Amino acid sequence: MTAVRTEEAPGLRDLLADLARLGSAPASRASSVVSLTVPVGGLEQVVHRLIAEPGARLADMFASAEPQRSGWPERNSEPVRLRMVWALDAHRAYLITESLVDSASYPELSDIAPAAFIEECEIYEQFGIRPAGGKPLNRLVLPPHAGRDFPRLGRAPLEEPGEVHALHLVGGQAFEYPFGPVRQVGVESLYYGLVTSGEEVVDLYLFTWHKHRGVELRLQGCCLADALFYVERMEGLGAVANGWAFAAAAEAVLGIAPTEEALRARAVALELERLYNHAAATAALCQACGLSVGQAQAEIALERLHRVNAAAFGHRYLFGVIDIGGVRQAPDVAALRAALPAAYGELRRATDALLATNSLVDRLEATGILTAEAARRLGLVGPVARSTGLSLDARADHPVAPYDRHPPAVATGEAGDVLARFRVMLAEAGESVALIGDLLDAGTGTGTVRAAIPGSAGRPLPGRAAIGQPRPAGRGQGGEPGNLRHGLGWAESSRGETLAWLALDHDGLITRARLRPASARNWRGFDDAARSQNVFTDIPIIEASFWLTVAGIAR
Amino acid sequence: MPLWFARGLRRGVVTTRYPAQRDPSAADLPTPPAFCAEKLTREVADQLCQACPCGALSRAGDALTFDAGACTACGRCAQAVPGAVTRSGEFELAATRREHLIKQIPLVGESER
Repeated sequence: MTAVRTEEAPGLRDLLADLARLGSAPASRASSVVSLTVPVGGLEQVVHRLIAEPGARLADMFASAEPQRSGWPERNSEPVRLRMVWALDAHRAYLITESLVDSASYPELSDIAPAAFIEECEIYEQFGIRPAGGKPLNRLVLPPHAGRDFPRLGRAPLEEPGEVHALHLVGGQAFEYPFGPVRQVGVESLYYGLVTSGEEVVDLYLFTWHKHRGVELRLQGCCLADALFYVERMEGLGAVANGWAFAAAAEAVLGIAPTEEALRARAVALELERLYNHAAATAALCQACGLSVGQAQAEIALERLHRVNAAAFGHRYLFGVIDIGGVRQAPDVAALRAALPAAYGELRRATDALLATNSLVDRLEATGILTAEAARRLGLVGPVARSTGLSLDARADHPVAPYDRHPPAVATGEAGDVLARFRVMLAEAGESVALIGDLLDAGTGTGTVRAAIPGSAGRPLPGRAAIGQPRPAGRGQGGEPGNLRHGLGWAESSRGETLAWLALDHDGLITRARLRPASARNWRGFDDAARSQNVFTDIPIIEASFWLTVAGIAR
Repeated sequence: MPLWFARGLRRGVVTTRYPAQRDPSAADLPTPPAFCAEKLTREVADQLCQACPCGALSRAGDALTFDAGACTACGRCAQAVPGAVTRSGEFELAATRREHLIKQIPLVGESER
């Protein structure tokens, strides 16, 4: 794990002691990640306790089919293991609870932790288990035509998920306006159900399944090198962040520590990715507001930043930088130092002019307001959360090298509106440029440790399973069926905290990969922001200020 | 708004002159591989096929088949067998027929054991 070892703080000890009294048992401890086994009957009390812990938030929830006799999970068998990933930001640690669910239901967790609702829906579609109590669950992941034989991670649910949205209470006539999934050129497939009384947004709900690609299923049976190729491309605008989180999870399982120079190279790439994403968001904001010249100038800056990426790392979108155990290439330092200041200067001139344009600022101010309470309740991350006043940044809260020695200044806002999100992004862009300079001064390199990585030269694989298929019975048992190795990795993408969790068998093949980009967290805040006294022409502006990807949730 | 009009005029036209002139930034782009035919034994060819995540490389008998249409220029083949693969530098790959993107490269025979 490429994480900073921290002494166990008294607060964390007390929390773990409380959880032990509630019936949890330690499963493993690796640096700043603690795993606890929680009987499913005690899960509600554990969630109550964790929700009450200051600085704790639910970061993810997912399930995996439990390995059977063959040592490999069988997709259509019971039981299912439910995992909740809690970010204990105040303790600089992650806590993973694991509960074996051997029936069709588990406790209603989203009633206690609303941030779990989307994941409850996802787990129901993928594994057929649901919260007790019969709460309606929305369709999230798989398209409506997905029958019982549609490829999924586990067992098909007995009943199809429904579509349940809040009652529309409005005086007069309200009508539902379907928009998408094909919206405009170059924009991802996404369906809005927009309920309006003419101008005001009464309700907005999203259908995100049109871009479902089954990436997590595709990764089962892959070796790490092949899997990384897919992970980078799962969400192209987050190739470095998602690749870093995935690589860190693999390194945690394999016990590999990349060199400091390689980690600084990773961080240079991550900050370049943050920079171009914020430039793209700026251009999208201008387009949404109809400011064509501003859009063009932001896009000129964006193009220059893409060229900086290509000059530094050989790819405009920084694919092929991250490797398990380090990086595939170090940056071209001379090219980066030569080109980056001018490219950032282009962006800075454009954004300074935008912030001095009152007619634009008018469109951004008090538009798409999210409160800090809503952001906390929904477990939002990144600039969306920081603009409400929540100081959440994985680089600062869960520092991994090199951010332990090069901590970023975390930009926050207060108003939670589009303008606040825009200002946070611009502050982060400036901070990224400064960080890149510091990291280059400290020195970058490759230093990838390949010998310990299954599937790499010197450690060939015994034989691959077909993609997405369980291994044939009798292989990969290692003498201990079900004895899989797990690891968690994370990175702060331009959209917020991104997580990856991996389980590997004894041959180093993936039995379960959980990918949780920041978009998978933050889309659930979009309808709240759209509803807050906006008109429907504000929706593209709000969407640009969130700057999420559909790929990040429909993976 | 008039200020934005003036800013736009001042920034001027930045559109690339490609294809009239080659854009220098193209030199930084990833491009499909070029294979050193004299290094391509069956063993090397099989290593290259194993390394490719896109199915762009396959071997049938004594020929390596390279499908530029399936290649994403990820560079893994070059990483797997550095001596047998170089960067082609070609990015003008458009063809009028799909099969024009597929090349058959003869192998030099089995390596000595």
